[in-house]
Amino acid sequence: MLRRCSALLFLPALWTAACGGDGTQQESFPLCAADPGPAPLRRITRFEFGRSIADLTGAPASLADGLPPDEITLDFDDIVAAYSVSSLHAAAYLDAAEQAAAALTGDSARLTAIAGCDPTGGDATCVAGFIDAFGRRAWRRPLEPDEQTAMLQIYTDTADPGPTDGVAGVVAAMLQSPQFIYRPEPATQPTTATTTTAAPPSTPLEPYALATRLAFLLTGAAPDDTLLAAAESGRLGTEQGLLAETDRLLADPRAVDLFVHVATQWWELGGLATLDKDRSLYRTWTDATPGALAQETQLFLTDAWQGSPTLETLLTAPVTFADADLASFYGLPAPSGAGYQRIDLDPTRAAGMLTQGSFLATHAKADQTSPVLRGKFVRAQLFCTPPQPPPPDIVVMPPTVDPRLSTRQRYMMHIVDDNCAVCHQQMDPIGFAFEHYDAAGRWRDIDGGQPVDATGMLTGTDVDGALDGVPSLATRLAASDEVASCTARQWFRYAFGRSEQTAGDLCTIDKLAGALKGPNGDYRKMVRATVRMAAFRNLPTGGSP
Amino acid sequence: MIRWASRPLSRRAILRGAGGAVIALPWLEAMTPRRAQAATGPIKRFIVMFSADGTIPTAWTPTPGASETDFTLSPILAPLAPHQADLVVIGGLTQMGGGGDGHQTGMGGMLTGQLLNAGPFAGVGAAPAGWPMGPSVDQRIAQALAAPTKLRSLELGVQVGAADNWGRMIYRAANQPLPPDDDPASVYSRVFADLHTDPAVLARLRKRRQSILDGVGAQFTRTSARLGAADRARLDAHLTAVQEIEQRLTTDLVVSNPSCHDPTIMSVAATANDSYPTVGSLQMDLLVMALACDITRVASLQWSRSVSQTRFSWLNITEGHHDLSHRPDSDADAVDKLTRINNWYAQQLASLIARLKATPDGAGGTLFDGTLILWSNELAKGNTHGRIGAPYVLAGSAGGALRTGRYLAYDGQGLPHNNMLVSILNAMGVPDTTFGKTDWCTGPLTGLL
Repeated sequence: MLRRCSALLFLPALWTAACGGDGTQQESFPLCAADPGPAPLRRITRFEFGRSIADLTGAPASLADGLPPDEITLDFDDIVAAYSVSSLHAAAYLDAAEQAAAALTGDSARLTAIAGCDPTGGDATCVAGFIDAFGRRAWRRPLEPDEQTAMLQIYTDTADPGPTDGVAGVVAAMLQSPQFIYRPEPATQPTTATTTTAAPPSTPLEPYALATRLAFLLTGAAPDDTLLAAAESGRLGTEQGLLAETDRLLADPRAVDLFVHVATQWWELGGLATLDKDRSLYRTWTDATPGALAQETQLFLTDAWQGSPTLETLLTAPVTFADADLASFYGLPAPSGAGYQRIDLDPTRAAGMLTQGSFLATHAKADQTSPVLRGKFVRAQLFCTPPQPPPPDIVVMPPTVDPRLSTRQRYMMHIVDDNCAVCHQQMDPIGFAFEHYDAAGRWRDIDGGQPVDATGMLTGTDVDGALDGVPSLATRLAASDEVASCTARQWFRYAFGRSEQTAGDLCTIDKLAGALKGPNGDYRKMVRATVRMAAFRNLPTGGSP
Repeated sequence: MIRWASRPLSRRAILRGAGGAVIALPWLEAMTPRRAQAATGPIKRFIVMFSADGTIPTAWTPTPGASETDFTLSPILAPLAPHQADLVVIGGLTQMGGGGDGHQTGMGGMLTGQLLNAGPFAGVGAAPAGWPMGPSVDQRIAQALAAPTKLRSLELGVQVGAADNWGRMIYRAANQPLPPDDDPASVYSRVFADLHTDPAVLARLRKRRQSILDGVGAQFTRTSARLGAADRARLDAHLTAVQEIEQRLTTDLVVSNPSCHDPTIMSVAATANDSYPTVGSLQMDLLVMALACDITRVASLQWSRSVSQTRFSWLNITEGHHDLSHRPDSDADAVDKLTRINNWYAQQLASLIARLKATPDGAGGTLFDGTLILWSNELAKGNTHGRIGAPYVLAGSAGGALRTGRYLAYDGQGLPHNNMLVSILNAMGVPDTTFGKTDWCTGPLTGLL
């Protein structure tokens, strides 16, 4: 590897492409090859389905909203072990596919762009060409002869009353087929091994399957024509070619969407859209608030991704985005300029995602803050050390809101009762550092008629120490190797659609954490490093389980 | 599966008039003979209604009288007074289950009488759990009845939330959750399309979809054959689902009940907390109409999900339901609010019963005559996660199979609720002698039928 990089020293652009500073360039490709871990069959998520349908047919991505929700486990929507399927799924796929087919067949320009001619004219050669061209995009590889025949048969059977119906029939069938909805990666047979050689632990993924992994990993959608061409030409088969496509896609605006999609799941913001507060206590909370808070976080993450998506930025940056309404909600001065604007915040108060309303309000009760939920988030999602849940026989109850007592006072039971203290001492003292932020995510100086006390304590980590307010916590988190490792673990789960299971997985996570936290590391570099891992590049020998 | 032959008349039960109004055609006696209702009594129908987070046992339990038919409804069940003669209130059974946390266990075992498999959903204080090891009782009924309806069963919900084992109660088979549709607009377009589509268009659409789904099925078979066993099982399950919707295309909707009409639907923010009562009411309308049109005979209505955090703002309750449910018995405020919440659900059941009673079944009676409703909860008590004495209410006699107007107290007998599920099967005409995990079940529930 070092040798190849040296050879490229004269070509600065390629140097960047091949060795572009994700911290893994010193190691032989692919990394952690001794054990790439299992590769169970992926199903495209609603997020991916909508984006792929939109790319393919011009139909709105919101068509995916009609599908049953994805099972969420390990906080992500793409974990294979949780999938289920029912007739409701099949009916919803049918409906979405028909609507997408109608959108496409009503768009002659798009049809012509795909096939080089408009197949709704009924010309047999054009129809066959359309099946090949659309099939290659929808199924993410060239069709095999029996697939061509089967799709032509569907055209013939459904071209009633005319060819447009037949084209729509083909599109609807392709979009309901497993080649679109799932990501089958047919087992590659190991090359004939001599009797003296043990079977290799993994074999390279065939190029189109690799292109598919790459596109969904980086953009949350099916491969585009350029990527498919790279697969076809064999360019994707080299490390250099793979990284060139990776860098191209990382610069695609859709990579930002993917980052937002993953980060909002990691930060447990899934419930934001339907979140509500006790409006007698939080009078500025309106029906529009959840959407505004989501918008704020999306803009912050986008800005981070395009700038410097380090843990430090995500956890500590004293900036946010707001329009006049949201600024008013927070009690901030209205930004100059219309719409959402980047706003510098007081660094003694604000710290990246940790002080955004999206996170603070989803990690609170409807009528009061929750030091437990906020502290638990830090333990579970940032350190990957979720506290033991309460034993089932314990009566768990948030304290009754009492206007004369601060939240801290109302949570005293967690300290005075040893049964509670053993676990709550891991959460509450972190959560208390958030007490300047109320259940809606707004700054406050007074709680229960008393000045807010936001002191706390971080224990049992590599960055232990006393806390006073969120920035003091954020600085420690951003410096923590454990937080970096946990962030890498969360990304691994999303990227591979499964929990970490093997020694090879731990190797992979370690490398990813290095790309995130190493010299010049950031989230984008971690994403980039993923494609260099054997778990990404290869298939376990014998294929999927 | 019996397939009903296509008859031109059958698809013309309604026509769309000018301006989109729906006009029911005159009732034609000629369309009825297939029912043969006189010989067998009313069509049997089964409905499950679920509400979450346990009850307040002291406010739920009826006051017994001199006999099982002599009882006074409790504060929670009071809204059911107009239907008291049609109820069987069952107390004291143990809701069996296991695996996962208390809510997962309860939700998974409630209708299946089974353990949860190990799986991906990490609960509170328990090993991660998956889906139950067997079908839910409604699905066993659907399978045994094998009714010639378009839908084998219809799963409806109200703000059921995420797709996980806290939010699923209906299982087609082990590990096969059936997600409830909690969007009335979606239910309307999916379930009632036959009633608002021009018959000629519908006929063409069916033929076309059959061609497409045949082709899709072939692609599943082809792709599946190239995969390893675990992946193949996933695709095969999907293929089964494709075949099931294809089966619906070949099943004509034969409208033989003048009560059947294209339901009206209103726009509603289906996931907004304060829309909860409205969404529920719409779903009940759709459920009743699906029964009236004989689109299905097995249905469920899942209000929220286990660990429900619904805020009953329309009852002036601002806390989340689950938070309230964890407060201690000594907390009078919480007890009052939880009593009112469960009372509200009893009102919803009463409303469902009233709608069924108000809907003629086309053979002289009402939809309620052949119906059996089970109202259940994943827990007995929220603040202990206890499942002993889970609150069951049966409504309707399933066509006279069940003697109603009774309160049956099994307290202290340690009987598994599996036995009640067996008796429900028997009432529905399914002669099974056991249900769920076999070593939990000791046969039908003595005294129920």
